[in-house]
Amino acid sequence: MLDWLWGVVSLSILAPVFLFTPGIAAAEEKTIIGGVEDVILLPWRMKLPARVDTGAAKSSLDAREIKVQDDMIEFKLPKKYGELQIRLPIMGWRHIRTPEGLERRPVVELEICLGSKRFLTLVNLTDRSMVKYPLILGRNSLRENFLVDVKRRRLLPPRCPDTH
Amino acid sequence: MGNGQKRFRIHRMLRPTVLTFVLFLIILLVSGKGEAGDKITIGEVEEVILMPWGVRLPARIDTGADTSSLDARDLKVKNNIAEFRLPNRHGGLELRLPVKAWQNIRSADFKEKRPVVEITFCMGPKMLQVRVNLNDRSTVKYPLILGRNALKDHFVVDCEQTHCLPPSCPEAKPK
Repeated sequence: MLDWLWGVVSLSILAPVFLFTPGIAAAEEKTIIGGVEDVILLPWRMKLPARVDTGAAKSSLDAREIKVQDDMIEFKLPKKYGELQIRLPIMGWRHIRTPEGLERRPVVELEICLGSKRFLTLVNLTDRSMVKYPLILGRNSLRENFLVDVKRRRLLPPRCPDTH
Repeated sequence: MGNGQKRFRIHRMLRPTVLTFVLFLIILLVSGKGEAGDKITIGEVEEVILMPWGVRLPARIDTGADTSSLDARDLKVKNNIAEFRLPNRHGGLELRLPVKAWQNIRSADFKEKRPVVEITFCMGPKMLQVRVNLNDRSTVKYPLILGRNALKDHFVVDCEQTHCLPPSCPEAKPK
């Protein structure tokens, strides 16, 4: 009787360790991605190359011909990506300090497939015609799911279920 | 008889504890090995020690930057030697280093040429020799930006963490 009781007591003391350890293991199971990755924009299934940028606090997308209508925004992707027309609700505005002064960029929520992970993330919209990649994945998009290994690029072709 | 029963009882009492311990160890081992080859995980900001001066600097880990750069104040280049000062809040140390190259920087509306020097620093357990370009970064939060040229051989970056790897090179022990 006593040993049975002791078993229950010691188990209940160690239960948090039991529960916590797989948690630690899960945290280490982040997917490793390279410095550049192809992602798929959902629901349009548009494939875009993305620069994985731990130096950027927030993600951003190259948007052309941005038009704001009340709380909705309409824009086009660059020509190279079919000038896809996108209409999304505005989730907020982000103020950016630039050498020319304060810039105000609309923020939308995008669904992205990267490797086997499908997730929602906030991106701000800006004309990035000067820059090589149409999508910058900043720390807000990387934090929970990914580790970055810049030695490699395009480690993970996007293959989320239901994206092909 | 009584003795034997007692031993048996102790054994059973310890069983859950022992089992938990073994499982814990196995999981620790497995998760440790699951990392990217032999690469070291660092956070989005890490402290480094600049050698041989032993100056500690926080560094922004920037996979979006091709090269690294250092905040250099009062920068002057004479006879291929760059003379500059670290920012005052990081001790204001005066440095003289040979210029190894010049780097063209394109930004949205101007072109700039920056001198490149080689610095040695300790990050985590690694002593690294990295080329950095010099410019006045007084508007930026971190005095050192480590770009892909500094990261590619030894590190993977986890944005969920900062300062996860205090510098621990034996040569960089604080005096």
